[in-house]
Order: sequence, then structure tokens, then C-alpha cells
Amino acid sequence: MSITKILFATKFSELNLDAIKSLLDLKQAGMEEIILTHIIPRDEVAFVPFGGYLKDEEERLREEARIRFEDWQDDIGKAGVGVKVFIEVGDPAPEIMKIAEAEEVDLIVSGITERTDLEKLWVGSHTLELLRRSTSIPVLVSKYMVSCDINGECVRRRNEHPFHRPLFAADWSPPSEHALQFIIALQGAVRKVDVAHVIALKASSDHDHPEWKQVEAESRDRLNYYCDLLRQAGIEAEPHLAAGHTASEILRLSGELSSTMTILGTTGKDRVHAFFLGSLSQHIAETSDVPTLLIP
Amino acid sequence: MIRAKSVILFSLLCSAGAPSFALASDPGYGHGGVNLGEALPLFSGAPFAGMLLSIALMPLFTPKFWHHHFGKVAAFWAAATGVPMVLAYGGPGVYEIYHVMMVDYVPFILLLWALYTVSGGILLRGTLRGTPAVNSLMLLIGTALASWMGTTGAAMLMIRPFLRANNYRKNRSFMVVFFIFLVANIGGSLTPLGDPPLFLGFLHGVPFTWTFNLLPVMLTVVAIVLGIYFVMDLVMYKREGATAPVEAGNKDSLRVDGSLNFLYLAGIVGAVLMSGVFDRGSINIFGAHRAVADLVRDGILVLMGILSLMTTATKVRDDNDFTWTPMLEVSYLFAGIFISMVPCLLILKAGSKGAAAFLIEGVREPAHFFWASGILSSFLDNAPTYLTFFSAALGRFYPGMPESLAVPKLLAENAIFLKAISCGSVFMGANSYIGNAPNFMVRSIAEEAGTPMPSFFGYMIKYSIPILCTTFALVTLIFFRW
Repeated sequence: MSITKILFATKFSELNLDAIKSLLDLKQAGMEEIILTHIIPRDEVAFVPFGGYLKDEEERLREEARIRFEDWQDDIGKAGVGVKVFIEVGDPAPEIMKIAEAEEVDLIVSGITERTDLEKLWVGSHTLELLRRSTSIPVLVSKYMVSCDINGECVRRRNEHPFHRPLFAADWSPPSEHALQFIIALQGAVRKVDVAHVIALKASSDHDHPEWKQVEAESRDRLNYYCDLLRQAGIEAEPHLAAGHTASEILRLSGELSSTMTILGTTGKDRVHAFFLGSLSQHIAETSDVPTLLIP
Repeated sequence: MIRAKSVILFSLLCSAGAPSFALASDPGYGHGGVNLGEALPLFSGAPFAGMLLSIALMPLFTPKFWHHHFGKVAAFWAAATGVPMVLAYGGPGVYEIYHVMMVDYVPFILLLWALYTVSGGILLRGTLRGTPAVNSLMLLIGTALASWMGTTGAAMLMIRPFLRANNYRKNRSFMVVFFIFLVANIGGSLTPLGDPPLFLGFLHGVPFTWTFNLLPVMLTVVAIVLGIYFVMDLVMYKREGATAPVEAGNKDSLRVDGSLNFLYLAGIVGAVLMSGVFDRGSINIFGAHRAVADLVRDGILVLMGILSLMTTATKVRDDNDFTWTPMLEVSYLFAGIFISMVPCLLILKAGSKGAAAFLIEGVREPAHFFWASGILSSFLDNAPTYLTFFSAALGRFYPGMPESLAVPKLLAENAIFLKAISCGSVFMGANSYIGNAPNFMVRSIAEEAGTPMPSFFGYMIKYSIPILCTTFALVTLIFFRW
């Protein structure tokens, strides 16, 4: 596995160029090309009630996007990374997936910039749709700058080197295995990986039960095994075992370890399942204040 | 802000129509709608005119504003109707608005939603070569489907394959125009599923199969229009000397994805048919009586839509470029249309006793109804236009008679008038881009796909007036002569 081509999808929120620059660390992992993609939502220009299509508006939006991308191309080009540009009209998530599949990219990056707590509940629908749809290509929810609560104080934080110290939340599923391989492919961009596993505890569980001890022992063994594989690939790794509510524990560990990114494997859930039960990976992507890399 | 404007409007209405409002405030007056229709002044229909003129003019002159604020415009006109009516008439005013929403708007939107959702799950794939014969056949298939999956559904199903088949042709604009004529309008005239006006007629007591009586008129119009198309396409095809790009051995065979949706479509047809046949009494929902069979029908419509969403592969909808936007737009706009047309419908139903007596007297013959409903449908949406003239016909022949009694009598004694209204409303929706909702969807998809479309006036001057209007003149002579 190698990460040579990434797709950066943008709606032109502020700080996008900084977010792209933060991805240039991937050059050390072999990145050769960034595909800049802007999808003009069809609803913005089409289906004017009893009107038709706003061709002039489409051309204006295309031109704006082209000029912005040209500006970025210079900066990215200086770093020695190739650039390709796509500006299309359509439904953003499916259109991005179409381009990603056609271009055979190794990673899709979708940006979430600064959000308030209230907005977090509502925005990022395109990114969430992308997460639901991407069943073969890893998706990085890039959060270059976020507001986070540190000791009761609202602090704005820049995630300038997201790949330096990721927290890898493993659950031993096949997607977790894929995530491990992906991290190994990131060698060069990653300095240290914290490999974590959360054992979900139920209130009725007897924690002194031999079965529980066995689960704990097995989890530690698997954590060590993952860490050994990473070390063999030349990446420093540290195991962390936690117990409790999975999402809360991952978020806690991410904060305590000063992680620069959270990496999770995702298991595809159908829409009904996801609607009623939610998805751990989506929850982390929505609430974590560091970038979240989801690997199917 | 909207409320303030409405209060001002109400003051104006009160000052000009004081006698009418005085009548309305009489205890016991105004129930059942008919009396209210006799009391309402003519200018209480001004917001309806404003609503329809907004739909007609704002997309032309302020398209960006309209695109982003049409919901607010619709809300404004609805409030301009509703607030004065409620303030002046109290309970009966509230009842009429509530009644039209419960009995007309909700089932209307549910049917559109179900047809839109189900037909959006059907995708015609494959490579077609757009020759005159193939194009004519596609138009014919779309026309035939339109009566069973709605003009919107048939247009959405066929327009992309139609555009793909002709993407090598130089002159494509006229093809899309004829597509709008036939698939997005004329084809929908055979069943209440075909075009919203006919479904509104069905909701008001016109039997499902009654619209089959329009078949001779429809076949005549289709034969003429399709014949003209074939000749035009043949001439263009030869003049262009176009050849289809050679498919290097990878010609994609024709196939339908999401075919399970045809089953849901059958479910929709069955549900609508059932509601017209079975009588299981009615339920009073906060004052609005709704037949049990109608409620079951609406439930089945929702179920068919949900089943379609659950069982159709996401890729099929993606490849269909399926989006909820047109459905949302229609539901917002029609909420405004239905509320603002309440006074007009009540006045027209009052017949010679209402403020629109002169209109009732002026529109006498079948040809009058055909052209009056048609000309208005050309520039205003055809669904409310149909209902307006349907009410006018009831008011003319059976003033003051309850609708449940008047409609069967109209069908038995004066069916030609309803045929004229139905044909006028459905066919002439094709006369301009703003006559029928699918027209703008087809135009939008064609322009997005790179097919240049004629302007609003270009469409009428080059195509609809010379082709459709002459055809309709012939139809008048054959079917609606007085």
C-alpha cells in the first residue's frame, strides 16, 4: 500500500490553503499528487422553480473556483507536489466519490473548519455523507482549526501537523487491519502512534470473572502485536488499553495523549442501522477536535 | 413584517368590501363555503393573482432572487390571503384554509412525492443512437408512460437517455422542446396520475377512469405533434449529415435498473384506483372530513415511497442525479398557491351569486372553457387553473349545489365542459416554460447537459404558437366546436 494520490474536496471555507499545507507532510510518505476538487451543488444553479438553469451563475462560480485553485496551485507546486483540478456541478458527495474512484486516489480529504458547538450539530452534512458512502477509500476529516474547551477556556487550536502523532483506535476488525496497513504506509510522515483499544464494560459485568481477565489479556496481547508490527515498519508505537464507553474513551485518550489525529477503521452500516444506532466513527468525526481518519 | 403588510392589506380589503364583511360577521353565516363564496369580494383573489404572477414573472426577471427566496414569496401571498380572511370571517375562514390544505394539498403533495420518489429510482441505461425514428419512439414511450407515472416521473426517467442518445447531434433544442410538449404535458392526460390538474379533479369526485374519455383528443394531438416532430427531425438529421460516434465494440445494451420500482408504481396506481372505488365512510379530522379510503390511499403512497427509498440502490439514484430540490420547491410553492386560491375557488363555486358572475356568464361554450383554461394554464400553473375552471363550471350549471352532488351531474349532463377544461389545462401547460412544473425541470437538465434551450419568448414564438396553438385550433374544431 502507498499513498501517492489524494483528493482534497473543498467548499472554499476559510483556511483551506493552510489545511492543504498541513497535508504536505504526506510527501514524506510518498505523496505525489493532490487533486483539488470543488463541487458546485446542483441546487445552487439548477431547478429554479418554473425558471430552469442559472447558466451565468454556474459560470461565475466556476470562474471563482478556478481562480482560487490557480492561486493554491502555485503554493502546492513549490512543495514539489503535482496538482490536478476538478470543478463540477452536482450532488457533492456522490460526485466526489465518482472523481475519487475514476482517479484511483488513495485518500479523500474533506475539510471541516472552525465551527461553533451549535453548528456542529448541523453542518458538515456533505462530509458525513461522504463518510457513509466511501466503502473502499479512506476519508480524512480535516480540521485545521477548531475551538476547544481547555480548563474551561475556549481555545482556538491549529492542527498543523496532523500526521505526527495519531491515535489509532483498534477494534481488531478487518477495517482495523486495513487501518494498520495504512498507518504503516504513512511511515515518514508519522513520528509516533498511540495504539488504543477500548473494552466496552457493561454495568452487570463481573469484573473479577475469569472471562473478563481473559478478554483483557487478549486485548493487551493484540495491542502489543500491533505495536510490534508498527515498530518493525520503523514507526514508534505505544499501547493503551481503556475500558468504558468507546467514543468517550477515544476522545479522552486523544486529549490526554495530545494526539494530532484519530484513526479508526469503519464497518459499513446500512442507512437504517446508522440512522437508529448512529456510528462510532461518525460520532468521533463530528465531535473530536483533531482530524479524524476513517478507513473502510 | 409579513404580518404588518397583511394587516395593511386587510385594512384595504375591509374598507373596500365593507358590506361583504358585514354579511360574513352575521352569526351562522359562512358555513359550508358556498355562502362565504357569495360574500367574498372579487379582489380577495388578488393575492392568488399575485402568487401566480410571481411564479410567471420572477423567474424571468429576478431569477437569482426567486431561486433563493421563492418560499418567502409564497409565504407572503399565503399570509396576504389567510390573515385577512381569518380576521374577517373567523372560524369559517380558518375552516376553508384548513380544509383546502387537508383535503387538497396534503394528498396532492403525497401523490407527487410518491411518484417522484419511485420514478427517481428507475434508471434507463445503455447506448441509443438518436435517429429520427429512435427519437420518435422514445417520445412515444415517454408520452405513454406519462399517464401512469406522472409527467414529472416520465420526464425524469426519459430525459437523460434522450439527451445522451442525441449528444452527437448539432440541433438538439427542438428535440427537448417536443419532449416538453409530449412527455411533460400532453402524455399526462389519460389518468389522474398523469398530471396534477386531473388528480385534483379526482380528489373532487371525478372517477379515475373518466379521464380515459380524453383518449381520442389526446391521440389526435399526439399524432399531429409527433408527426411534425418526425418530419422536423428527419430534415435536420439529413441536413446535419450527422453520424453517431462509433462505439469501439463496447456498445452498452439497453437495460432498466431499479425495475422493482415498477412494482411500487403499480402499488400507487392501485392505491389511487382503490380510493375511487371503495367507500368505507369518512373520518372527521378536526372538522375536515376525509374518506377512510383516501387516508388508506395516502398511507399506501407513503409506504410505496419509503419502500422505494429502502430497496433502490444508492447508485441508481446517484446516476439519475436524483435530488429532493424540485420536490421541496413544488411543496413550498403549492402551499402558497393552495392557500391563496381559496377565495377564488369559493367565489367561482358561488356561480352567478358570487362576485365572478360576469366570468361565469362570459365563459359559456366548451371551446371557451378549453381556451380559457388553456391560455391561463400556459402562463399560470395548470393545477390551480384546472380547479378554478372546474369550480366555474360547477358554479355555472349547479350554483350552490354541494360538490358531491354537482360533480356527478356535471359528468352526466355536461361532460364536454370538463373534457374541455381537462384538455385545456393539461395540453396547454406546454405552451410556455412556466405552464407546468416538469417543463422547468426538463429545461434545467437539458441546459446542464449542454443543450442550449430557447428563451422564454423564443420557445413560444418558434415552437408553441406555430405548432401547438394551431393543433389546438384544430382540436377545437373537431372536439369542442360550439
